[in-house]
Formats: sequence, structure tokens, C-alpha cells
Amino acid sequence: MDVLLFGLIAEKAGTDRLSISATDTQTLKHVLEGRIEGLASLSYALAVNRKITRGNVVLSGNEEIALLPPFAGG
Amino acid sequence: MSETKTHRKRDIFTEGPIDPAFIAESIAKHSTRHDIGAHEIFLGQVRADQVVMSSEVETRQPTVQAIEYTAYQDMANEQMIAIREEAFARWPITCLHVHHSQGIIKAGELCFFVFASSAHRQTAREAVAFVTDEVKKRLPIFGKEILEDSTHVWKRNL
Repeated sequence: MDVLLFGLIAEKAGTDRLSISATDTQTLKHVLEGRIEGLASLSYALAVNRKITRGNVVLSGNEEIALLPPFAGG
Repeated sequence: MSETKTHRKRDIFTEGPIDPAFIAESIAKHSTRHDIGAHEIFLGQVRADQVVMSSEVETRQPTVQAIEYTAYQDMANEQMIAIREEAFARWPITCLHVHHSQGIIKAGELCFFVFASSAHRQTAREAVAFVTDEVKKRLPIFGKEILEDSTHVWKRNL
């Protein structure tokens, strides 16, 4: 599945999109934290289908996933 | 009528700064609505903050020249629809307009425009305060503060 990256996280990854396979969000986070240097120590949220998730969520592979650093609108 | 119209508005993002002339035009468009007795507006302007940058060698305080805004636009627009519905459910506002900039906005330029109208002032005031705070909290908008020495830091709302 494609994972969309934004702001500071896209900057650290050097890209705004990564392709990752994972069956749940906990596994996905683990893989992403291995791929993006410094991600584990950052404050970020994971959105599944444009909604922020908490806890572990099972993924079918068709979801739109995004990693969101702290918001700065306004 | 107007409520349906504002609910249909799906994209709050505009490229570049918000032109004060656009704000004036937005106000003027409401002159035909004689049930409106109050307009309330919040405008966000990019501030030239001094950012403290400490390293082992030195401490510098470069000034913010501009903020480059990006957003997860699809999610932000969905969140905006939810916030709009909450505002309409809580206050009898006639209409609500929200615009946020994308791209590079220089210090002194406008990046955020919240505009509510209602029959009486208290309603529009409370709705604008609510919407402004919720947008800052809930919309995935990201801001890169570009400093005078061409370095940058990432802004975060408190």
C-alpha cells in the first residue's frame, strides 16, 4: 500500500510517498520507523482513510495511509 | 439557501497569500442578505518570529521570513466539513467561509481567513472563535518556517 508522507516526515524520508506491505497499523509503524531515520523519536499521527487512528487497526491493503507530523495551520 | 451553498464548499485551500481585496469582496457579497446583522472575521497573518537556534558552538536567533504551507488536503477538507457541521449545529449562523493558504506566505501576508455571519453579533463571534481553534487543532496543515539565513524549522501549533 502507498503511505503518504507530509511535512517534516517527508523531509526526513526524502520522498512524499512510500510503498509498504503490512497487515495492521502496528506492523506498519514498525516498518516505517525502520525505513525513515528519526521517525521513532518524532511525534506523529497515523491516518487511515483520512481519519486519525489510535491503537492497532487491521489493514486490508486498500486503505489510504498517511503519516502526519504536528499540525501548524492558521 | 445560503447554508446549503456553504455546505457545498469543499476546498478551503488557495495558492499563495489571501488578498485583502478578496476579503472585501467576500463581505460585499453579503449585502443582498438582509437577515444578516453581524459579520465576524478572523485573519491569520504570518508573524516574523525570532527562532532560537542553539548548537554547541553558538546560539542564533534568526527571524522568520515566510512560512511554506502544505497540507493533506483531502483529509483537511473532510475535517473542515465536520467542523462546519458542528458550527451550524451549535450556532444559528447564516453562513461560514474558511480559506487557508498553500505555498510560500511572507511575513505580513495573510494565510487564514474565517468569516461567519449571523443575525446578532454574539453568535458570529462564538462561531468564528470555535472554527478558528478547531481548524488549528484538527486540520493536517504543515508549516515550514523559512528563516533569514535560508535554514528552516517546522512550525507546530500548541
